[in-house]
Amino acid sequence: MLTAVDVRKHFKGLNALDGASIDVQRGEIVGLVGPNGSGKTTLLNVLSGFTRADSGRIEIGDKKIDRLPSWEVMRLGIGRTFQAPQLPTRMTVMETMLCAAKLPTGESLFGAFLRRGKVREEEREAIERATELLTRLGIAGVGDQPATDLSGGQQKLLAMGLVLMRSPRLLMLDEPAAGVNPSLRRSMVNLLKGLTQGNEISMLIVEHDMEFVQRLCSRVFVLDKGVVVAESKPSELADNPRVVEAYLGKSRATEPASAAPTNAAGESR
Amino acid sequence: MLDFLLYVGIVASIYGIAAISLNLQAGVGGLLNFGQVAFFGLGAYGVGIASHRGLPLWMGVVGGIVAAALAGAAVGRLGRTLLADYWAIATLALAELLRLVFLNEEWLARGADGIGSIPGLWGAVSGTWRDVAILATVVSILVVVYLVAERLTKVQFGRVARLMREQPNLAAALGYDIVKVKVRVMMVGAAIAATGGALLTTYISFIGPGQLLPVDTFLVWAIIVVGGMGNHLGVIVGAVVVNLIYLGTRFANDYAKLDANTAASLRLLLVGLILMAFLMFRTNGLVPERLRTVDADGG
Repeated sequence: MLTAVDVRKHFKGLNALDGASIDVQRGEIVGLVGPNGSGKTTLLNVLSGFTRADSGRIEIGDKKIDRLPSWEVMRLGIGRTFQAPQLPTRMTVMETMLCAAKLPTGESLFGAFLRRGKVREEEREAIERATELLTRLGIAGVGDQPATDLSGGQQKLLAMGLVLMRSPRLLMLDEPAAGVNPSLRRSMVNLLKGLTQGNEISMLIVEHDMEFVQRLCSRVFVLDKGVVVAESKPSELADNPRVVEAYLGKSRATEPASAAPTNAAGESR
Repeated sequence: MLDFLLYVGIVASIYGIAAISLNLQAGVGGLLNFGQVAFFGLGAYGVGIASHRGLPLWMGVVGGIVAAALAGAAVGRLGRTLLADYWAIATLALAELLRLVFLNEEWLARGADGIGSIPGLWGAVSGTWRDVAILATVVSILVVVYLVAERLTKVQFGRVARLMREQPNLAAALGYDIVKVKVRVMMVGAAIAATGGALLTTYISFIGPGQLLPVDTFLVWAIIVVGGMGNHLGVIVGAVVVNLIYLGTRFANDYAKLDANTAASLRLLLVGLILMAFLMFRTNGLVPERLRTVDADGG
C-alpha cells in the first residue's frame, strides 16, 4: 500500500530524516513511535506531500508520489490529520464536514446556478453522511457550532471525521489520541479497528500513548534521529534495547535493570 | 439636493459592485488583493477603447470583463510560489504596471489625455429622469451581483474558498488544489470589478490613467472594512456610508473654502481615519460576517 525507502530530509542544520524506510501493507494498522524530535511528523509530512523529501523513493500502490503536491497525493485516496487540528473558526462543524465531501455541482461555477436541484441533492446526501459519522464519533449535535468552539478532544475527533468523510484507503493520523480523554480513546480504538475490518483501509499512526499503539497496531516502527531504529510487534517493543535507548538515552539503556521498558510500554497491561 | 442624492446613489452602487468583487476575493477567499483597481480599470478601459474606436459599447463591456477575468487568473496563478504578504505586494505592483501602460502607450487609449465623450446610459432621457433611470439600472445590476456573490459564497465553491482563507493546509489535506481555488475566486471577483468599471465609465463619460491610482483600491478596501469583510450585504452598507462621507464632504468645502487640493486630501484623510477607527474598535465592520448554518435538506 505504502512504501518509503531511504527518505532523507535536511532542514537548516538538522537531518530531520536521515534515510528512513517504512512500509504499510493493505489493511494493516502500523504505528510510528519515537521520542520528541525524532522526525515522526516530518516523515508524515513527506509521505503526504506537505514537505518535499530531499531524496528517497515513496510509493502509494504502484504510484511514485515523492514529487506530487500534497493535494494530489490526497486525491489518491489518502487522508491525514494534523497534530494540532487545523480547523476554521468562522465555519460550523457541519460546513467543515461538507468541505470534505465531494460536491462537484456546487463547486462548479455554473452548476451552482444552473443545477440547483442537483446541488441540493448532493448536499443532502453529504449532510446525512456527515451526521452519521459525527454520531459514530460521539460528537453528534454540534453541527451548528463553530468548529474551533469544540473542546480539544472533540476537535481531534472532528479532524478524524473530516478524513473519514472522504473514504480514504490509507489513513495517516498524527497523534490522534493526544488530549482525548481515556474513555474516548477506547472508543476511538474500537472505531479505527472497526474501519479496517473488511474495508481494507490501511493506517499509519503517529502516537505517544503506548497503550493506544498496543491495542491498535499490528506492527510498529521506532524512529530516532531520523532513522528507523527498530521494527517490531507492539508487545515486543519494551524488550527491544534499541527502543529503550531511543527513549531513554544510551547510559540508561546499557544498565541491566529493566525499569526503563516499563515506562515505555509496561503500564498498558 | 435630489441631484446630489441621485449622484451618491449611483456612485455608491457602482462602488458597491466593486466592494462585492473585492469582498469575494479578500473577505471570502482571504486573498489580499491590493491591485483591485486594475480589474476595475480593465472594465472601464474596455468601454473607453470601444467608444474611441467606434465599436459598439457592449463589445467593450464584454471585452473588458473577459480581459479582467484573464488578468485575475494570471494574478491568482502568480501565488503558487509566493507567500500571502508578498502576493499582496505583487498585486499592487501589477496594478501600477497596468496604469503605466495606459499612461504611456498613446496608441492604445490616448495615453495621459484619456478617452472622453463616452456615450452614457439612457441618452434619450433628459434631466433628472435620466439620473433616476441610471440609478435604477446600476441598483438592478448591484442586486444581481449581490445575489450571484451570495450564492457562490453559500455553496461548495465559496465553502472551499472560506476554508482556504482559514486553513489552507486543511483544504489541501482534503484534496483541494489551492492555486485552482485561488484562480477561480480571482477570476469571478475580477469579472465583477470590470462590470463596475464599465458602469462608472459610462456614467462619467471619461476614462484616463488618473482613475487607476492605488487610492481607488484603498477606497474599496475602506468600504469592505467599514461594511464588514465577508458579508456581501455589509459591504453594500459600507459603500453607502463611505460614499456619503467622502462625497458629502465635497460640499462642506462650499463653506470652508479651502483650495481644491487641500480639500481633496483632507477628505481622503478622513476616510483613512475612519478606516483606522474601524480596524481598532470594530474590526468586523458595521455588519459582521455571520456564521453560515446548513439546512438539513441541503442548499
